[in-house]
Amino acid sequence: MRGLTCLSLAFALLTCPPLISSAASDDLAVVIAAQSPVDRLSPGAIRLIFNRKSLLDGNGNRWIPVNLPPADPARRAFSQALFGAMPEEMEEYWNIEYFHGITPPEVLASEEAVLRFVSATAGAIGYVHASRADNRVKILAHVSQPLPSKAR
Amino acid sequence: MSKSPHLAAVLAVTLLVALGQPARAESFAYQLGRGLPLGETGIRLGGYANAVIAAPRSGPWNFDIRDLSLFTTWERGNWRFFSETEVANPLSASEHQDLTTGNARFELERLYIDHIFTDALSVRFGKFLTPIGRWNLIHAAPLVWTTTRPIASYQLFSRNATGLMLHGGLPVGERRLEYAAYTTLSDSLDPYKSENPFENAFGAHLLYSLAENLEVGISYANYELHEEPVGRFNLAGLEATWSYRQFEVSTEWVHRSGGGNELTQGFVQALAPLPSHFYAIGRYEYFQQISEAAGQVGVFGLAFRPIPPLVWKVEYRLGTHNESAAPDGLYGSIAVLF
Repeated sequence: MRGLTCLSLAFALLTCPPLISSAASDDLAVVIAAQSPVDRLSPGAIRLIFNRKSLLDGNGNRWIPVNLPPADPARRAFSQALFGAMPEEMEEYWNIEYFHGITPPEVLASEEAVLRFVSATAGAIGYVHASRADNRVKILAHVSQPLPSKAR
Repeated sequence: MSKSPHLAAVLAVTLLVALGQPARAESFAYQLGRGLPLGETGIRLGGYANAVIAAPRSGPWNFDIRDLSLFTTWERGNWRFFSETEVANPLSASEHQDLTTGNARFELERLYIDHIFTDALSVRFGKFLTPIGRWNLIHAAPLVWTTTRPIASYQLFSRNATGLMLHGGLPVGERRLEYAAYTTLSDSLDPYKSENPFENAFGAHLLYSLAENLEVGISYANYELHEEPVGRFNLAGLEATWSYRQFEVSTEWVHRSGGGNELTQGFVQALAPLPSHFYAIGRYEYFQQISEAAGQVGVFGLAFRPIPPLVWKVEYRLGTHNESAAPDGLYGSIAVLF
């Protein structure tokens, strides 16, 4: 039984995507407007915001998650770290959500666009390389970039 | 000359506004499978279409554009509106009938408004899909892997309910428990009568992720039906879906008591990816029936999904005591989410 538990734990550690890490220069940073009252979010909360299961923050305001384009390496790394899947592998999930009237996060063209949108929009949350985050935004979490994996 | 300063000012303001606005890449563009957002109104139009050809072994072949559904969604603040209007059989033909639009009919599949209080609590009012099992909640042809629908996913209950629902998600352990609890209010709220609709119904559905790739759910409903068999019914349901990469195994079972009988129905379905966007599907169904012996069917199919919103399907269904509910034969379809 104990062996089974250890095996389960080992399996979980191997299969769970890494999310929060200590800051490294090329890490991605989850950002929100500098003046936002939100100071931190758990990995699970970030995941729920970006798969649009969590629609409101603790104060009842609507989250507005934003993504980079699917081909952007930062988007791919973020998706892999957060969901263990590449953007194209999430399409089936979004098809089902669309059937329920829920659409994926909006897509912005560049990290600078994310910084501008997030800093100017209450409830907006996005991600950029940590080195690009400036005083317009607040970093809520760092995301480790996993090694690129081939899309299934 | 006097206009120049004004022009310069206008250009400067335009430039400032442009610089101040984040560049949106796809937000307001049409995308197949994601619908068409109408500017910044919060309204989005979309839907799906499904064309089916059926060749049952003991009857004439027939062709239908079975569904042409239009979604309208609107989101603003804590409110969300959703409607699905369907034109069923807008075009059909069969061995004994030329192509006709004569079988077309309008249906309002869903029409509801949600008020989101918190992530844990939303209130829905209107006509919605009955939360029993997984298939009924995602029954759109582009989202499911077979042309034919498992009997257990619709025969013993109404596919829609009209009334009030509380729903949301709660953290339980490391994961999230999604719940829905509902009651029907009145048939008069249903703009188009559903087929054999619920009357005086209430029920609940719980869905929990036991692991990253494993979801389990339970359902309960208590209701009366308008048509035969008449009576009050209790229904309990169990569902599970396991997926790994593109492999998937799913199962749903329902047990209904009332109206002088007890019936159990269910299915197990497996999906395996093949090269070049092809998928192999196998399904076993078991269904107890009121006036016949318990039926069983096997469904063996292939699906081709070149892009996520588009799927071609072909399958053969074979069974015992299934002629009235799920006849043997060859079935094929093409479905697109737009």
